[in-house]
This record gives sequence, C-alpha cells and structure tokens, in this order.
Amino acid sequence: MDVTFFYTALGVYLISAVGYVASILTRRVWVAKLSTWIMGAAFGVHFISFAFRYLATGHNPVVSIYDTLSLLAWILSGVYLVLQLKTKTRVLGAFVAPVTFLLMIAASYRMAGPVAIPPILRGGLVPFHVILSVTGEALFVLASLAGAMYLMQDHLIKNKKVTSFTRFLPSLKELDRINHICLLWGFPLLTLGVLAGSVWARTAWGSHWQWDPKQIWTVLVWLIYAVLLHQRLAIGWKGHKAALYSILAFLVLMVSFCIEAFFFETVHNFI
Amino acid sequence: MNIILIGMNHKTAPLEIRERLSLSCREEADALSEIIRISQIDEALYLATCNRVEVLAKTAAAETAVDRLKGFIYRQGNLSAEELEQCLYIYTDRDAVRHLFRVTSSLDSLVMGEPQILGQVKDAFRQAVEKNTTGVILNKILHHAFRTAKRVRTETDIAENAVSVSYAAVELAKKIFGDLKGKTILLVGAGEMSELAARHLVNQGVDRILVANRSYARALNMAEVFKGTAVDFAQLGEKLQEADIVISSTGAPHFVITADMVATALRRRKNRLLFLIDIAVPRDIEPQAGEIDNVYLYNIDNLQEIVDENLKARKLAARRAEAIIEEEVLKYEQWRSTLEVVPTIVSLREKFAAIAERELRKSEGWMQNLSNEDKQHIEIIIHSIINKITHEPIAGLKDESQNGGAKPYVAAVRRLFRLDADDT
Repeated sequence: MDVTFFYTALGVYLISAVGYVASILTRRVWVAKLSTWIMGAAFGVHFISFAFRYLATGHNPVVSIYDTLSLLAWILSGVYLVLQLKTKTRVLGAFVAPVTFLLMIAASYRMAGPVAIPPILRGGLVPFHVILSVTGEALFVLASLAGAMYLMQDHLIKNKKVTSFTRFLPSLKELDRINHICLLWGFPLLTLGVLAGSVWARTAWGSHWQWDPKQIWTVLVWLIYAVLLHQRLAIGWKGHKAALYSILAFLVLMVSFCIEAFFFETVHNFI
Repeated sequence: MNIILIGMNHKTAPLEIRERLSLSCREEADALSEIIRISQIDEALYLATCNRVEVLAKTAAAETAVDRLKGFIYRQGNLSAEELEQCLYIYTDRDAVRHLFRVTSSLDSLVMGEPQILGQVKDAFRQAVEKNTTGVILNKILHHAFRTAKRVRTETDIAENAVSVSYAAVELAKKIFGDLKGKTILLVGAGEMSELAARHLVNQGVDRILVANRSYARALNMAEVFKGTAVDFAQLGEKLQEADIVISSTGAPHFVITADMVATALRRRKNRLLFLIDIAVPRDIEPQAGEIDNVYLYNIDNLQEIVDENLKARKLAARRAEAIIEEEVLKYEQWRSTLEVVPTIVSLREKFAAIAERELRKSEGWMQNLSNEDKQHIEIIIHSIINKITHEPIAGLKDESQNGGAKPYVAAVRRLFRLDADDT
C-alpha cells in the first residue's frame, strides 16, 4: 500500500509542478492557486504513504537514502506550503514543485515495500536525527531556490533587461527575506539534527566521531552555513552576495547528501 | 431604431478645434439637455474630454438626427461647415457600438491603455442618468461597454506596464523593494521629471523625503512642497547612506555622485539595496556606481528604453483587445436582434390574453352555477392552452432573430394575427 501511495503522490506532485509552470506561462493567478491546493493534496497522500510504511513495520519508515530523498521531498513541500501562507510568493512554487518532483523521481529509483530495519537504526534518537536534519536541509533547498531567483532578478534589473519575467518574479527584497528566513530556521535545525546523530553515534559505535566521509562533509556543510549566517547577521551580507553564497553552500550540501549513496564507503550507509 | 455616434478625437481634429468645443461645452454645461431636446433623439450620452467630443444617441430617424446633431456641434464650436466635416466621424449601429467599446477600453486613446478614459465615460454616463437622458437601450450599451473595458483590462496587458519615464522608475523601485512603505528618497537637484517621479513614489507609500540642492533656499522650498527635509549639498555622501532611492537631476557639468561615494555609503548602510535614478543630462552619477553589488543605476535613456519596450508590448496587447471588442460587439448584435422581436412577442401574448378574457366574460352567465374551484380550473386550462399554442411561434421568432432573419417572420406574424390593427 505504501508504495502505491508513494507513486500516487509522485503523480500529484507532477501535476502541481505542471500547474505552477503553466501559471507562469499563462500568467493566471488562479492556476497557481489551484497548483498550491494540488501540492497540498500531494503532501497529504505522501504522508499516508509514510503512515502505511510505519504501520506495516512498526518502526521509523525512513531507512535508506531513497527514503530520505522521499522524506526531503515531503518536508520541502510542507515547508513551502507554510512559507506560502506567510509570504504570498506563489512564484516560488514554480521552482519548488519541480524540485520536489525530481526528488521523488530519484527516490523512486529503489522504492520497494517495507524492509527490515538494521538494529543500529532502532534507537529513539534516530527519528529526531533524521527529521531535524532533513527539515534543515529542506530549508536550505528553499534558501538556495530563493537565492537562484534572486540572482535571476538581480541580473535582469542590474543589466536593464526589464522583461515580463522581471515583473513575474517577486521583488528582490522579498526574495532576500525568504532566503534569510530559511537560513535562520534551517541552521539551528540542522545543528540539532547533527547533535542528535552524534549522540546516537556514541551509543551505537562507541564514539561521537568516526572520521567517516559523510561526517566530515556534513561538518564542512555545517561550517559553511555557519559562516554564511554569521556574515548575514553580523557583517550585513545582503542581496547578491548572500544569494550567491547560499547557492554555493547548497552545492556542497548536495555532495554530502550523495556521498552515502554513490561515492564513498561510509558507515552511514545502512542498506 | 438606430444607434448613432458622432464625434471627433485627437486623431481627426486639431487641438484648436477640440479646444473650442470642450471649452464651450464646459461653459455651457447643459449640452446634454440641448441634445435631448432634438425631437428625433430618444436617448443620448455626451462625452467631452480634452482629447475627444462624442455624442451617442438612440434615434428613430438616423439621417435627420445626424444632421441636427451636426448643427448642434457646429453652433457649439462656432465652426464652419467645412472645418466640421473634416474633423467629424459618424458611426451607426454596430459601428457606433464598436467605437464606444474601443473608446471605453482605452484603445482609441492618445496613450493607449491609459486608465482615465473609463472613469470619464462613467462620469458622462452618470450625468446622463441624472438628467434622465438614457433609457433601456443606452443603459444596456453603456453597461456592456464597461464590461468590455474590464475584460480588455484583465485579459490583455494593455494597461500593464509603465509608459512614462516616471512610472517606469516607480515600477522598478517596486521590483527592488517590494513595498515602498517606510522607504526614504533623496532628491538631488530639481526638475519637473524628478518632482513627478517623487510624487508617484510618495503616492506609493514612500514617507521620508530628503532634498539636496546647490541652493539651500531652493532645497528648503522643495522640501516644503513635499513635506520633506532639506539637506546641505556638502552632506550628500552621508545622506546616501540613509536613502533607498536617489533621484538626481542637477545641471552640474560633472558627476555629483561618484562611485566611491556610493561604495562608501553602501558599506555604511550594511549593503542595503540602493536604487539610483539619474535623469540629468549630462549625467550626475558616475556609471561605475551601477557595477557595485546591490546598487541599481538607471539613467534617462535606460528608463526611456523600458518605456519604448512597454509601448511595443501595448501595441501587441491591442491586437488581442480588438478581438475581444469584436466578440463583445457580436454579443451586442445578438441581444439587439432579439430586441426586434420582443414587441411582437409581447403584442402576440397580449392579444391572446385579451381574447381569453373576452370569451370568459361572455360565459360568465352559465358559469355562475359552477363552484369557484371549477371556474379557476377552467381559467387555468384556457391559459395553458394559449401558452402551448404560442410557445412554438415565439421560440421560432427568437431563433430567427438570433440568426438575423427575423424580419419576414415578424411581418408575417403581425399580419396574420392582425397585431397592428386597432380592432383588438
């Protein structure tokens, strides 16, 4: 059942992504509004998929990297929907919805039914570690998407290429604000997530730190975001530089995310 | 019944003539009363703006009405017949309605898509309603025109983008800062265009204005006009730090604001976005300032380019708008054509009702013996028989009118049922 719901959610995310893009092309607000509701529906269906997995296995439904991607997609759309309520920037959806869909495609690469959970993931801290880190990362995804939109808008206005696309994108101030809010919330969440992970590592492996590639990259990512946030808050990095940096930081985050799946031998790979 | 529209606009009449007309009309505010006094005219609307004079009227005798309207305008403007003929356009029926729709939708305006004309037509309509010079037909047409204007506005980009330099600056400011509430603007130097832009920005919520001028007295003057603060010209560098939008238009032969000044100010203001508008020729702001991160510099040519692009976009939107106008004119025609058959349908129904009434009265004598309930039943049956019999011909008339071929049927029905005879 969980797999069926997963694929249903994937389909509905696709519809909402198409809707958002169509709303840009047709410039009709009601299309964007409808797409928001469709995304909400996808979010609900996706949740049902997780719930079924939990009921079938009786444990944390996020085990493999593919589950994590799926969780990232779910939280990303959830965070976006909340943000949408607060900022009324629907255009962001045209960027978020396709990304969510792509995450779901990546997740579907090895989406099977319930699997047996390795004993190491049976700890009470593991769900906290996963949910906090993934929510932090989802906020960073949003920060970088807002950053990308900022760079587009900045480029257009700076070079006097005022087109209909300029009018469609939100104002620079608004995009900078979204970027700022996402960093501000994402960083503490990721910090807590990493701490929960390291506490659990001590219980499971006997030490907080294993010199594992995943751990090293994660700390690197954490440091980069720490610097970015510091520059924003203390030095007054705003606009162009902050947007650019948050995109670069996100690229490093992507590497860290892919490590456990594709590149290195890591203790963080469980299945 | 005919609809006629007679008028002149900025394309057909030179300014001197339009001036004479709109002036005389303003003095004599009762133009409308005079028009409605023309006996051939049943309903009338009179629209006079600085760019156009139009009379829309419903009449039963189009040719006479047009002649008399011409006479009216001729007297109003104190024009010779020759002058008048050159400037006037006359439309009837469908063309008159199309012209009105185009005017109301701002397709016929000097600056296409400008929003004022809709309000002006609405005012003219309000006046006509107050003076009671419109009736069913013109009311319907005017409401249709307002609906059409709304469609054009929402479905095309005709009114979307700024077509003046100062509005283009306001739009850019909104794309940079979003909400302009609480923003500060610094006016450097004086000038018509910078004052206009400042006024637009104030309307959008900018609430703090700093004014710098080489002559402090002049700065004080302007500050008073805008309820702002005059600042010393020597303090310009420091004030850059406080301002979000700078509009510069001095007559200085050299740069008044250098890239260094901007860079310093930006550091001090912690990189908050800065929008620089340079409308001076020669330029006031060093172009390199625009290369600094978070600084957006536009000169007069840049703004003019945006305006030109927007004008092009409006022309494109106008084509879509014309299609909407045609659709709406078609809808009007359909409504109008059913109107032709309405009087016939009404007389037909009245005739049958009268017959039933008469026959019932004749039978009153023997019906005395019936109970009230039975009498009512008989009446109901009679009326439902009439409705059944007339249903098909009435539906047929309506159908034919939609197809535009109702005339022979209307004539036939009137003749067969003797609707025009007095003996009913």
